[in-house]
Parts: sequence; structure tokens; C-alpha cells
Amino acid sequence: MDLDALTGCLASSACLVTQGTSGFIIGMLLFLVAVGLTLIFGVLKVVNFTHGAFYMFGAYFAMTTYQLSGSFALAMLCGAAGTAILGLVFERVFMSRVYGGDVLMQLLVCYAFVLIFDDVVRLFWGPEFKAMGMPTAFQVPPLFIVGGVVPPYYLLLIGVALGVAAILGLGLASTRIGKVIRAAAHNPSMVSALGINTGLIYGSVFALGGSLAGLAGALAAPVRSLTPGMGFSVLIESFIVTVIGGMGSILGALIGALLIGLIRSFGSLGFPLFTDGLMYLFMVIVLVARPTGLFGKEVA
Amino acid sequence: MLEVQQLSKSFGGVKAADDITLSFADGSLTAVIGPNGAGKSTFFNLITGALVPDRGHILLNGIDLAGRSPPEIVRHGVGRAFQVARIFPSLTVHETMLAAVGADQRRASLLHRRFPLAETRDRAEHAMELLGLAAKRDRIAATLSHGDQKLLDIALALVLDPKVLLLDEPTAGMGTEERWRMIDKVHELWDRQKITVIFIEHDMDIVFKIAPFIVVLCYGRILATGTPDAIRRNPAVIEAYLGSEHLAGEAI
Amino acid sequence: MTELQAESARERVVEPLSVPRLDKKPQRSRSLDLLIALAAFTVLAALPFLFSSKALLDFVIRCSAFGLFATSLNLLVGYTGMISFGHGMFFGLGAYGFALIMQRTGLPIPVAFICTLLFTTVVASVIGAICVRLKEIYFAFVTLAFQMLIHSVILSWVSLTGGDQGLRGGIPRPVFLGVDLSNYVHLYIASCALLVIGLMLMRQIAQSPFGYTLRMIRDNAVRASFIGIDVWRAKLTIFVLAALFASTGGMIMSLFVSGAYPEFAFWTISGEGIFINMLGGVTTFLGPIVGTVLLLILNDTVTRLTEYYGIVLGIVILFFAIGLRKGLMDFAVEWYQARRDAHGPGTMTRPRGGSGNSTEVAG
Repeated sequence: MDLDALTGCLASSACLVTQGTSGFIIGMLLFLVAVGLTLIFGVLKVVNFTHGAFYMFGAYFAMTTYQLSGSFALAMLCGAAGTAILGLVFERVFMSRVYGGDVLMQLLVCYAFVLIFDDVVRLFWGPEFKAMGMPTAFQVPPLFIVGGVVPPYYLLLIGVALGVAAILGLGLASTRIGKVIRAAAHNPSMVSALGINTGLIYGSVFALGGSLAGLAGALAAPVRSLTPGMGFSVLIESFIVTVIGGMGSILGALIGALLIGLIRSFGSLGFPLFTDGLMYLFMVIVLVARPTGLFGKEVA
Repeated sequence: MLEVQQLSKSFGGVKAADDITLSFADGSLTAVIGPNGAGKSTFFNLITGALVPDRGHILLNGIDLAGRSPPEIVRHGVGRAFQVARIFPSLTVHETMLAAVGADQRRASLLHRRFPLAETRDRAEHAMELLGLAAKRDRIAATLSHGDQKLLDIALALVLDPKVLLLDEPTAGMGTEERWRMIDKVHELWDRQKITVIFIEHDMDIVFKIAPFIVVLCYGRILATGTPDAIRRNPAVIEAYLGSEHLAGEAI
Repeated sequence: MTELQAESARERVVEPLSVPRLDKKPQRSRSLDLLIALAAFTVLAALPFLFSSKALLDFVIRCSAFGLFATSLNLLVGYTGMISFGHGMFFGLGAYGFALIMQRTGLPIPVAFICTLLFTTVVASVIGAICVRLKEIYFAFVTLAFQMLIHSVILSWVSLTGGDQGLRGGIPRPVFLGVDLSNYVHLYIASCALLVIGLMLMRQIAQSPFGYTLRMIRDNAVRASFIGIDVWRAKLTIFVLAALFASTGGMIMSLFVSGAYPEFAFWTISGEGIFINMLGGVTTFLGPIVGTVLLLILNDTVTRLTEYYGIVLGIVILFFAIGLRKGLMDFAVEWYQARRDAHGPGTMTRPRGGSGNSTEVAG
């Protein structure tokens, strides 16, 4: 425990900015992953325990694409698109078999794939830590805001994440597709009776959710190291975020992600060994006070 | 004696129960009827504590049950069977009865004996026999026919030795012949056990045949009460069920 | 949807699990169980004198630890319908608690054992009181959160627990009542004894009136409360009882490895517990034991054959979850039931999921 470091930082505007942005980034990446998770839960009523694997694949796809093509934009695209396809296939072939059943069954199928995916990555890319490195476009000096250090890449990250949030929020609320998706969430048999292919909707939503996690992984690739186990910690954290924010709530995912990001960032100053513990403690407190999360609705 | 006084419950602007005052004598058999949405199930829910009344009293032998928790009300002697049987799907009929009787005997937390207990067996046996389920004792509840599940549901309500038994549409979902068998059973039960029985029913033939006393609800209010003959001739009842074209020039 | 349809839709979601049937003659069944337990113990205890393979005996000890853990989890999952993702925390607490008590105090082993159980009772009561009122998936999440919290505490309280290195320095084993746990054979026999006694006790819980109360809660908690059952108290009770057996498993593990490691409290322990229950089947009492044996064999064989253990295990899990949809013991019981029915009248078997049986399958 190092409370002096924490209070010292809170007193310094430079440190506040640096740590704050860092926490913001963590939060934004987490938001992308968590919003995918919460979307899948909200529409398909299934808890996607493989979600961390999509994050992982997004990162690895992006890294390999960048190494082969040198284009950052292409890397991001492949990360998101690759995981979207993966998500579609996975959902149609496997997940659809366990809808409506036990949570246990869903958990087991997902657990199985987590194991399989981790080993697949190890098989193709090797178990060592890999790095993508910062793309040349962003190898510029960092910005100094109020004395705090802000790498420009962070700004891109924040921009993308907020953009996605806006598109999702507006898209679901006002477009026709959004309405169809929300209807399918509430009453699938009705939607299917109207002649709409619910299977396609389910597959698309799952693909969308998965690709959001993949996009997060791709965005994170330049600033994180890649390893087959990277999906797991993201999974746990995105879980905490969705559960704290409320399963099925996009706003909840945003708020929850920001909170967790900031807790991580400032918490690692004051409690370097117990940073994870802080997160779990926070989760426990929120869940005990409000089991459905801050913005969650009752599960039917 | 079960007395309901000025029982009222609103949801938003809708009066699901509007100033209902009734009394049910000990050992009486009453049918509660009314068009859909009349508030029959709401009435039951209010008595059993599933809903908390906005106003009014529910007096069972003088004790006011309004506002108490459902398990508490059950303990005071109100039993209820449900429109869709709420049973324990994976237990056999016998196990269900033993467990329910055991729970009533406050033996639900015993750890040191093996199940079933001798003291519990006889009562469970009696209950199964009363409902005609004794032959099916080893059938798993989920595999029972719909009608038998409803009987089991009633049995679950009965093992607690209620003073008042509320049956929510005991014949719901059944074909004509099965209905009569079910209502005969209900009648037989009432006759043997000598408890107050109130049942919600839609089939008018059955109601007029079986029930000595009928309560008609409409839009949450009591429209009429009385013997089958009186109800049959009651103009307000006729209008509610059949529409005002049968009444010359009366506005509602 | 009318109330009728809504109700049936809700009811259908509950997949009825069937568990061993009624004791028709309870006293005789109890004696039968006792006999089986004694026989099993005798066989197990004789093994060191029949085979000289330490690997076999190690295997049995590990099975004892995980078997107790998995069976206690089944009490929660299979009998009461409480799906806990955090049950592993008690396994870890048992290991660390016992190891720390032995390292730091001079208490005799039986006393340390009891103290660890008391410690587990306190922790389980507090956590349980908070968690058991939550329903289903929320219960699962919060138990997981608590487990990860405890895991974090273990990792970060380095001065007490040794952090991510684990608790080192071994466990002192003063002799008690002629039992010397530093002697491998003694340790082995003690583990077997704990396993058999633990199973007997859990069996008694399952077949007692309380056990049937749990089944009622699993099938229809609302109706159970209408019958007069205090659902919250029953759930809390089984939560704590299950925790005790889980922590006993942890204690066996800590003696076996002469220490305690953070992995004992990691969520994968809970995951393996759930998986074991699926493998062996939740509808019979001994299903988890069968599952434990299978999982350990699987673990050991696969890690020997390939370093891509994850893929193999994953495929096996898929096979059970999507293909078989039930555990091994479920199959055994259904097969047995089918044979019985072929020769005479029997009760109907359930269409899917668990099996309906009216006979007491031994164990």
C-alpha cells in the first residue's frame, strides 16, 4: 500500500492528467469490450464467456496484418472484420445450440472454446509475448496537457471509442435495424412471426458484439503486449464492468468502464499489489447494494 | 369465518378491487365468477398476500391478514391452489407430499434422520388418498397429466390444514369430462374436510350445479351475491355477461 | 400471453434434475450406505499394501481433495439449484487457513483442523448472508467476485501468504494419536478416511428431510416458501455446510503439497468443480466422484501426450455439453433403469436431462 503516491498524484495536476488519461483509455477499451458483451446479453440473453477470446483475436489479427501490410488502418479493419466473421460462425454453429438452456451449458461451451482458442493462438503465433509496436503514423512526441503526458494515440483511441458509443446508441434507438434488434430482444417469437429471420439477427448481433471486442483488441495492440492469456483478464474486467453497469445497458457499460478504468489507474498508484482486489471490492459493493447493477433492468 | 371489508386495490388509474366487502361462513363453498378482467385473481392475490391492499381488512377469525407476508398468511390458515399448478417437477408425488407435510410439521431442517419420517408418513398418505393420487405415488410430478398436477397442487395447499382453501380455476385447461371429475373431487374434498372453500370458475354449468353460494365480480366491484337461482335472475349479472341488449333501455 | 401460457413458459425453463430416490426403509438404507462406505475405505486403505505405485496413491489423495470439493459443490448446484461460481474460495481458504495455523501456532493437527472449519464457517456465513438472497446469475457473479477478491487478498498480503509464490516452509506435522502425517502412508489413509467420512456426512444431508427441503427449493422456491420453508435460511445453511466440505478438501491438498498456492483460490478451481459435476452427472450422489476421477485422469493423460492440453480438454467438454448433455453417471443410471424396465414395471424416465428412477441406486 502506498497512499503517499496516491495522494501526491491527486494533488498534482500533471499527474492527474497523466493518470486520468491513462485510466480513461483503459476505460474506453474496456467499454468497447463490455458493450459487446452487454449487447450480446441484452439481445441473445446469453452470457458470452468467450468474449475475451475475441479481444485476443482482434489483437493478433491486427498485429499480423500490420506486420504483413504496414497499414495501420488495414490492421484495425482486419481486427474488427476477422472477429466479426469468427463471431458469426461461432454463434451459428455452437452458441445457437445452447440458447434457452442452462446457464451451466452455456458456460461449459464457452469455457471449452476459451481453452481451444487459447491453444490455437499458441499454436499459430507461439506462447511468447509479442508486440505490434506503435504504428509510424503515431510515432510522434506526446502532447503535454497541463503538464501531464498524453500520447496522441490515446486521443485516437478515445475518439474511436466515443464514436462507436454514439453510433451504437443512436443506431439502436433510431434506425429500423436497431428497432428490429430491440424487438427481437423483447419478443423473439413475435419478430419471427413477422417474417424476420431471427437467426440472422442473432448471428449479426453476436458478430457485432464480438467485433467490438476485436476492435478493442486491435486498438490495444500497439500499446499492450500480446499473449495467449490476454483474453482472460479482459474478460474478467469486462464482466465486472457489465455487471456493475447493468447487463444490457450501454450507458451502464460506459459509466462502469470509466469507473473501473479510473480505479485501475489511480488504484495502481496507491495499491500496487491489490489493484485487482480494488476492482473486485468495488464490484462486491455495487452488487450488494444493487444486484442488477447501476443501470440494469431486472432479468425477465 | 373469513371476512373481507372494503378491500381495495388500484393499479395506476385502474381499480382492480373496489371496496369489496364479503363474508364467508365456516365450511361454506362459494364460487367467484365474473367476466375476464373482473378482478377475481386480484381478489385471491389480495387474500393470500401476493398483493398488498390499498385499503381494507381481511379478517380470518378476527385476525387481520391484510399487509402480512404470504408465508405468514399461509401459516394463519389460508391455502391456495394455482391456475397453473405450481409443483415440484422433479419430486415424485409421494416425496412431494412427505416433504410438504414434513415442512408443516416444522421438520424441514432436520439433518440427522433419514427421510421419510414415520410421523410424516400417515398424513402424507391421507392427503394422497384424499386427492386420489395414492396409486400414482411413485410418478415424478413433471410426468403427471395436467389434471393430476392440479390435484397435486391442491394437495400441497391442503397438507397445511388450512381453514380457508382458495382454488384458482381448478378446471382450467381441461376437457369437459375431466372438468366434471375435477369439480366432483373438489366437492368431495369440501364435504369431507369441512373447510371453507372459495373457487374461481368460468364454466357456468359447473358453477350453477355445484356452488351453494355465488359471488359475481365485475370491474373490481361486487356485482351480486347469492344462491344460483338468485344470480341467474339478477338483471345486473345478465347485463354484465350478455350485454345490455337483453335489458330494455337501461343504461349502465 | 395469458397467465396460463406465461406460467408454463416460466415453468418449462426449470430443467428438473432428478436425484436418488426415496429411502423406502430409511434405517436400512443408512446401514447399507455405512457398509458401502466401510467397504470402500477398506479397499482404498489396502491399496498401499497391494501396489507400490506412488503415482496411484498420489492420484487417490488428489481425488479425495477434489472429490470432497466437487461433491460439496453438487449439494449447492444439483440439490439446491444454487449455481456458485465462487465455491473454490473455500477450497483455497481451507488450504491457506490450515497451513497458516500449523505454521504459526503450535496447535495439534486435529485442533488446527477444527479451527480451520470454524474460520470457514465464519467467512461462509458472512459471504453467504450477502449472496444467497440473490437469484441465479447474480448469485453466480457475486460469489465469483468474492472468490476473486479473496484471491487478490492472498496475492497481495505477501507477509502473510507469501504472495504469488505461495506459502512456503512446509507444514509442521506433530504426531497425534499415533498418526504421523509426515509418513506418506499415514497421510494417504487419513485422506481416504476424510473422503469417506465427508461423503457419508454429505450423503446424510442429502437424504435427510433438510435434503428434500433443498430439492423443493430447487424446483420451486416460491411454492416452498408458501409451504412454510424459510428459503433464505435453508440456502444459507447449505452454503455454509458445503463450504466446510470444500475447505476440508483444501486442507487435504495443503497437506499433500506441503503448503498453499494462490491457484487453490483461483476461479479455475470453481470452473473445474462445475465441469466435474457435468462430467460425472448431477443426478446421482456419486456423480461428482466419478467426474473427479475422470477429470484427473484426463488432466494427467493429456498433459503427458501433448502440450496443447487446452484443445483436447475443450473438445471433451464440448462432447459432453453439446453431445451427451449429461454426465457419465446419468448414463449409467439410465441404462440400469432401462434394463429394469425391460424386465418389469418401472416408473417413467424423464424425457431429457436427468433420469427418473424410483430405485435407490447404491451410492
